[in-house]
Amino acid sequence: MKKLSIIFALLLFVSLAFASQVNVSTWGFNLDLLDKNISEPFLKEHGIQVVRDLGNNSVRLTKLLTQKNNPVIDVAHFADYYAQLGRVEELFEPIDVSKLENYGELFDFAKDPIGGNYALAYAVSSYGIVYRTDLIEDPITSWKDFWREDVAGYISLPDFTITQGPAFMMHINKIFGAPEGDESLDTAFAKLSEIKRDVVTFYRTSSELINLFQMEEVWMSPAPRFSWGQFMGTGLPLAFVIPEEGVLGFFSTVSVVKNAPDREAAYKYIDFILSNSVQTAQAIDLVDSPVNKNIVVPEDKAAFLTVGDEAASLIFYDIETTVRNREVWLEKWNKFLGQ
Amino acid sequence: MVQHKKLYLLLLPCVVFLTVFFLVPLLVLVSGSIYEPGKGFVGQGYYNFFAQKLSRDAYFRSLSMGGLVTLISMVFSYPAAMAIVRIRSKSLKSFVMTLVVLPLMTNPVARTFAWLVVLGRNGLINNTLLSLGLIKRPERLLYTNGAVFVGLLQLFMPFMILSLISALENVSDDYSMAARSLGASGLKSFWYVQLPLTIEGLVIGGTLVFTGAITAYVTPAILGGSRILMLSTLLYQRASVTLDWGMATTIAMIMFLTTLGLNYALKSLGKVGRSRSRT
Repeated sequence: MKKLSIIFALLLFVSLAFASQVNVSTWGFNLDLLDKNISEPFLKEHGIQVVRDLGNNSVRLTKLLTQKNNPVIDVAHFADYYAQLGRVEELFEPIDVSKLENYGELFDFAKDPIGGNYALAYAVSSYGIVYRTDLIEDPITSWKDFWREDVAGYISLPDFTITQGPAFMMHINKIFGAPEGDESLDTAFAKLSEIKRDVVTFYRTSSELINLFQMEEVWMSPAPRFSWGQFMGTGLPLAFVIPEEGVLGFFSTVSVVKNAPDREAAYKYIDFILSNSVQTAQAIDLVDSPVNKNIVVPEDKAAFLTVGDEAASLIFYDIETTVRNREVWLEKWNKFLGQ
Repeated sequence: MVQHKKLYLLLLPCVVFLTVFFLVPLLVLVSGSIYEPGKGFVGQGYYNFFAQKLSRDAYFRSLSMGGLVTLISMVFSYPAAMAIVRIRSKSLKSFVMTLVVLPLMTNPVARTFAWLVVLGRNGLINNTLLSLGLIKRPERLLYTNGAVFVGLLQLFMPFMILSLISALENVSDDYSMAARSLGASGLKSFWYVQLPLTIEGLVIGGTLVFTGAITAYVTPAILGGSRILMLSTLLYQRASVTLDWGMATTIAMIMFLTTLGLNYALKSLGKVGRSRSRT
């Protein structure tokens, strides 16, 4: 009996070792759910093992850069800003979308988020305003409400270096009347200077922000929809607002690495994660908000996801503009903070 | 000769480890900061660093913060170490030592978050000051230089206390007693006898605290926020946001050279101290 089990284990090991695999560069979050919703069904359906290389955006992008001449990764997931950086560094190849069965099911905004078909969006998130309904009497309805006197000293805003930072600044720039196509962000910086002292801190992670709400240091802040569940978990009287000037949209992307070792597996993987079943499973488990327009999310889950009207009304700022200006803007930002 | 060979053998594992995991990466770092394939010599990075007011400010802020943390931790730790060395009861001594080491056993992130609770507007300090009537409205203590300072001091003081305890334990009480019996006052015997004999502990402790303070990332990032830009947070920005690894490497080298410089300065100070103790 013991021998049999050893032989069985060996057989399993050998079959796994020889099963073809797709190497995916991605984040280290929700790995159990990714296994349940993606790796296991993918192995069953296509006989391909998903092998993940984990890390944050910048570390993984740097890895891809160092492996550029001899790539070991087939597919890479990035936040939109880093995907654009990867495109500039020529790390990806254009995706032949005709090979993807599920491509036609995507929202238009997900079809070519960084241009040139160098990436697809497989998940979307929105960025609105969270505030304390018990401490702020007049309802918050606008991005301009951060300049209201009754909230001064109790607001937080995103640091420029986080994913949402540049788009937030571009949005502020626009709603305070900067000319169309302005890339100086001077209007936004000037407006922000007015309330700089009233900002508790320019936050860097949503967990830091939630902590500040719990400590009652902060009553109001822009926040991503995907962290709304954690906000609710604090038990505080909070509301998530879609401001009248619109809610900002952000993508999580997927790209095929240039000269990927197994291009065929890469395409199968991408098509699979865009499919109805995976997109639904990921939404129900609150891992990602879907980009497949056929997905219907149960009502009790919808509040935690970017779906329906909210998904349809998202405002996306051109990421290429952000990447092109990042050095100049960052210098302005650091100067603004240091003043 | 045989004796020497044996000695080399004993050193071998440590030397191999340090070569592979410290010296080689360090050389890669140094060469990366002055030469980039395809771009040639880029020593200009150092010039660019000091030419920008922003990075200069971050550098001097880190330097002065590190210096102040080191100095204050010396002042606070010396009497504490003296007292701990003199505790007779073994169980009490080990209890106190555990208290000193305890902060090192907790995660730096958790420790730093605890400071948020202490320094917050509804935190311990503000509530105490309010209830004593010393302030009328809660003061903003978080995200200031002061917050970063206390966070770093708490984080690294144990290293100073431990270095000083081991230095003080090697100094027999006889020296101080001899000095006293020859008519030196308590202060004089401390200044001319005990301090020079324990200067090694201050040098080691000072190097550990200073290095830790100027390279720490979590504490300045959480307690200082975006407003207090330090070398470590600037390095993160360069590496992670702009992917400017050339500048990130330059900053890392500047940090390294600065700690090396401080170590040298402290050692020279130590030598002066020791020679004074002989005269």
